[in-house]
Amino acid sequence: MASYKAPLRDMRFVLFELMGGDDLASLPGYEEFTRDLIDPVLEEAAKVCEEVLHPLNRSGDEEGCTFENGVVRTPKGFIEAYKTFRDGGWTSIACDPAYGGQGLPKSVNTLVEEMICSANLSFGMYPGLSHGAYVSLHGYGSDELKDAYLPKMVDGTWSGTMCLTEPHCGTDLGLLRTKAVPQDDGSYKITGTKIFISAGEHDLTENIIHLVLARLPDAPKGVKGISLFLVPKFMPDSDGNPGPRNGVACGSIEHKMGIKASSTCVMNFDDATGWLIGQPHKGMQAMFAMMNTERLSVGIQGLGLAEASYQGAVTYARERIQGRSLTGVKHPDKAADPIIVHPDVRRMLLTQRAYVEGCRALGAWAARALDLQKHHTDPAVQEENEEFVALITPVIKALMTDLGFEATNLGVQVFGGHGFIREHGMEQYVRDCRIAQIYEGTNGVQALDLVGRKLPAKAGRNLRRFFHPVAEYIETHVEDDTMGEFVQPLAKAFVRLQQATAQVARAGMANPDEAGAAATDYLRLFGLTALAYLWARMVEVSLPKVGGADDSDGFYTAKVNTARFYMERVLPQTNGLFAQIMAGGKSIMAFDEAAF
Amino acid sequence: MAEINKVAVIGAGVMGAGIAAHVANAGIPVVLLDIVAPAGAGPQSNGSNPNRNAIAEGAVAKMLKTDPAPFMSKAAAKLVTTGNIEDNLDLLADCDWIVEAVIERLDIKQSLYAKVDAVRKKGSVVSSNTSTIPLATLVEGLSDSFAEDFVITHFFNPPRYMRLLEVVGGAKTKAEALDAVSTFADHKLGKSVVRCKDRPGFIANRLGVYWLQAAVVEAFDAGLDIEDVDAIVGKPMGIPKTGVFGLLDLVGLDLMPHVNASLAAALPKDDPFHAMNRPLPMVEKMIADGYTGRKGKGGFYRVNRAKNKAKESVDLATGEYRATKRANVEAVKSMGRKLTRLLDHDSEHGRYAWRVLGQTLAYASALVGDAADEIESIDEAMRLGYNWKFGPFELIDQIGVDWLAAKLEASGMAVPAILKTASGKTFYRVENGTRQVLGMDGAYRDLVRPDGVVMLADIKLKSQPVLKNGSAALWDIGDGVACFEFTSKMNALDPDIMDLLTKSIRRVKKDFKALVVYNEGSNFSVGANLGLAIFAANIAAWTEIESLVAAGQQAYKALKYAPFPVVGAPSGMALGGGCEILLHCDAVQAHAETYMGLVEVGVGLLPGWGGCKEMLTRWASSGKLPKGPMPAVGKAFELISTATVAKSAAEAKEQLFLRPHDGITMNRYRLLADAKAKALSMVDGYQIPEPPVPLALPGPSGKVALEMAVAGFQRLGKATPHDGVVSGEVANVLSGGDTDVIKTVDEDALYDLEREAFMRLVRHPGTLARVEHMLLTGKPLRN
Repeated sequence: MASYKAPLRDMRFVLFELMGGDDLASLPGYEEFTRDLIDPVLEEAAKVCEEVLHPLNRSGDEEGCTFENGVVRTPKGFIEAYKTFRDGGWTSIACDPAYGGQGLPKSVNTLVEEMICSANLSFGMYPGLSHGAYVSLHGYGSDELKDAYLPKMVDGTWSGTMCLTEPHCGTDLGLLRTKAVPQDDGSYKITGTKIFISAGEHDLTENIIHLVLARLPDAPKGVKGISLFLVPKFMPDSDGNPGPRNGVACGSIEHKMGIKASSTCVMNFDDATGWLIGQPHKGMQAMFAMMNTERLSVGIQGLGLAEASYQGAVTYARERIQGRSLTGVKHPDKAADPIIVHPDVRRMLLTQRAYVEGCRALGAWAARALDLQKHHTDPAVQEENEEFVALITPVIKALMTDLGFEATNLGVQVFGGHGFIREHGMEQYVRDCRIAQIYEGTNGVQALDLVGRKLPAKAGRNLRRFFHPVAEYIETHVEDDTMGEFVQPLAKAFVRLQQATAQVARAGMANPDEAGAAATDYLRLFGLTALAYLWARMVEVSLPKVGGADDSDGFYTAKVNTARFYMERVLPQTNGLFAQIMAGGKSIMAFDEAAF
Repeated sequence: MAEINKVAVIGAGVMGAGIAAHVANAGIPVVLLDIVAPAGAGPQSNGSNPNRNAIAEGAVAKMLKTDPAPFMSKAAAKLVTTGNIEDNLDLLADCDWIVEAVIERLDIKQSLYAKVDAVRKKGSVVSSNTSTIPLATLVEGLSDSFAEDFVITHFFNPPRYMRLLEVVGGAKTKAEALDAVSTFADHKLGKSVVRCKDRPGFIANRLGVYWLQAAVVEAFDAGLDIEDVDAIVGKPMGIPKTGVFGLLDLVGLDLMPHVNASLAAALPKDDPFHAMNRPLPMVEKMIADGYTGRKGKGGFYRVNRAKNKAKESVDLATGEYRATKRANVEAVKSMGRKLTRLLDHDSEHGRYAWRVLGQTLAYASALVGDAADEIESIDEAMRLGYNWKFGPFELIDQIGVDWLAAKLEASGMAVPAILKTASGKTFYRVENGTRQVLGMDGAYRDLVRPDGVVMLADIKLKSQPVLKNGSAALWDIGDGVACFEFTSKMNALDPDIMDLLTKSIRRVKKDFKALVVYNEGSNFSVGANLGLAIFAANIAAWTEIESLVAAGQQAYKALKYAPFPVVGAPSGMALGGGCEILLHCDAVQAHAETYMGLVEVGVGLLPGWGGCKEMLTRWASSGKLPKGPMPAVGKAFELISTATVAKSAAEAKEQLFLRPHDGITMNRYRLLADAKAKALSMVDGYQIPEPPVPLALPGPSGKVALEMAVAGFQRLGKATPHDGVVSGEVANVLSGGDTDVIKTVDEDALYDLEREAFMRLVRHPGTLARVEHMLLTGKPLRN
């Protein structure tokens, strides 16, 4: 089985050298998060991921969850691992100190999330879903509800879920049918069936807190008539301990392609007692608070899996000897050369690496924007960062999971036949990654969100938060002797992105199908251009250090060389994407429906 | 036919004074008389020597401060001679037309007529502005010679701006009298004259008052929220967004009972108006309590100053004010563009919409043959008298004659005869490119425009454009003249317009003698497409923006130096780039109601399509300013940096947005014909204009002087920080950049300065915030 070492060197590079994370402590509320504190947090996270979570990844996948008489059991070792995880305080790192959390900056937490996803994505689903429920409850719940539930959700004694999907409605929540009937005591009786509920039932925590979307009796039709309710598995008693069982039960679990150690449940609510979170009919708002942070997290899942796959592939490519280099023997002492000498193998490894390191920087950019949005003192800065996050969220979710899927597939390919069998774990990364392209809004829906919502909002102001810094960067560096090599390809891709943006906006205004037809290609063009910008910035940081004392491990040299590979061998994809977008949607929409 | 060269108006109330002002706007001397002011009244009076003309003088003084202004220029006000009807009746002796606009009392009017008849010159026309008293009643007992010269001319308030004039002749009225007044009103006052029968309320108020009353009464019956009512009886029906309650607040609630009572008194017993004319105790109480609308303590809507200027609305059930809510009418949201869907909507709102519009359209149909024989007169009266986008018969065409008849029948209402006549047809149709209208006899006849009226809309029905793209078109309007029309949304200027303009110049050179730039939008153009601009700026497409600026400069410059005469013919707003294209025409024939201005600074930009350059050269060569480089710079700076908009074509001449040789057309319908005539008159011996003499401009020292002035305004709080940035760039362009007085700056150098300054501004966050705010809210941002 492939081993996993957290890429702490690159994480520190991204956090401190690229994004200037040393200044986080200057933001109100983050005073204690100096480098002295952040470094040990990352190291401890690496340890728990490498030593506790990763060893359970293969076995968890083989064993999966089991369902019997309404009880779901996680694979062997998960209960112990969860206890270690919780005792280490990892469920609370990103939570509000007022409820026992540690208030870790998003910039740091994102890196921890990546490690968890690399080590054991299925395991990460349990605390991950809890955190989503935490975000909605924290943002929209009454003080009474928050005081009663948040402390135990934060310390990991209880976990949470988000119950959205129903058998007949996933993407279109407007069709939702679950009912909520008000009771005299201020509570509600919830009745309905929810499916695909991650962590809906399991044996890791003493209670499970479900956040459920449902309709009140007087609700308007569609998404404007949906409210959010809190429904505990066990009703807390007066001391706050789990009391009698509530009317919610797991009906079955799904048998899936990947993330098999994560329980995916059918949840039946039968007059279950619940409480309203936020305003009646405003459930979508509270749900989207969760959904937006979840979408960033799902993007990080793609990154984490790509990193894990890359590590496995590199190790294998060095160890596997087979045939000889095309340009003569490289390792005469061995019976054959390691396959890493082959251009095509190197191409695959570098593609994985360029994706991984680029996406890590992109995730860090968004995370930093979230930190500034929440903690900066200037409302104008907050707003600018909020706009950037709104724009980049669909890009991160879709691009990073799509690239993650490509990268994990390349990992299988490097392994050849051994990638296709289960014991090496390379095919598991592919299977685990596949769902990330689907849940929390399919990548097609992300692309529509980008072109249909984020582009036109506020007369296009969101766009400014990306296009202006990039344009300015290009103007500043394009003539530069050493940077020019990297900035010129960026500049070309950027012009394509500008033209495509204008085209999508223009064509989409006249005919929304045109925007829809361009959406996925456009999102990828956007994403690849964003990565090119970040690669250029990474070069800018690295170049002065190449060959210097700090480069004794070759880190900066490798960085610049990976950037070169990205600019020359990945970024040209934008040519094709541009051509596809400019061709318009006619060939897609003119095709006779009956002829499919 | 007698020509009208001097006019008198008796009665200096809002209507009379407004009519007098508008006659003066036409450049015609006018006498304005009212009763003798009581002692102690009037601005110049003192106890011993009372000013007997104080009422008429006060009316003129008040009009000079009124907004919207009754006068088109200060010069017009000088054409008004004030007086009183006891001392100054002799002033009527040389008037060709005497308008009576006194209180609506028969005895007072008739005794005045006797006095007037004694002094007026033979053949002069006397008219009454009455809105309710039949002509036959007015002339009862008066001499035949008076009755022969007597007509009713019913203006709408405010007389300058409302284009409808209802004209009524009596049995004895001479055709010459009717024609003289109609022609004068058409050509000089710019009115659309609708001949009405001598029936109560004539056309517009007869139907308009019924409609208002129906909308109010039905709203009370249905217990609706007034915001919802105004959202229904408003935009969906092509009615101004003030709707019903907003309109009543505007005209004054107290007016309605008077108008209703006099209409009720004059209409025959079987008129459907009586059934609608029910007392509304709540409204009566509001009037009694002083809640008469905007002029009073508030109306159906009010701004509650005690509550931090909160907007409030009256609850029709309780009569109490409550917080104004946002209209929420599913029936309107779901109608799309189909009025029938609204009228058929199964909801209280849908039923209300039908009750109001169904009864109104039925009443309009019943007026055919009664108030007027021609349906197009009724439509024109409602369009111009009540600002409806569509007349009632145009609305019926939209929903279908038979659909309306069937629904009336199903609702137990009578189906008027004209609807039966029109069964299976439409009231209007286009036959072989000519608009036709259905007569009472069921036969169609051509809609014939009056002599000298050419409408582009008619030409478009009959022909194909010479050139066309998504934002503009070039039309052949006959006699070798082409017409360039903006067709983009709101006539916003965009790259396609510049492209077609460039192509059109080449085409006109080849195939035509002259070009007119004209369109029939409600505004000529309010400038560049800001949505495109902000989008391009948001994606940092600076090169594209700069090439758009350059393309506009080149297109406008090519227009200016085209080898044929170019006449701009604006009406309504001509702002920003819409003003700049006119500045590049050889001549302009402007509708009197044209509002020109370079308003770019409002969105943080400056005129980049030659506007700075043109205003600078115009003022420099005007001969109106002291010598030296600074005065013209200062004048152009003042106009551009404060985004001055001329409030009429006459005012535009004062500011040199228009030049002395540019023409003004009073009647909107005659604008294209006048512009075409002007263009043709320039064809013989046409010479391409010489480029302006390069200017000696002050350079940085001049810029500093202008900036100091702006800094002064900033200290006074009259200019914002970003105003300072924008004004600085305007100052830089107008003072010639880094030139000095010894060098001269030519036209191209000024274009370059404009473009460079524009590009600096468009990248400024302050400017982007202004553009965005304007787009999202329609209001300027003061940052």
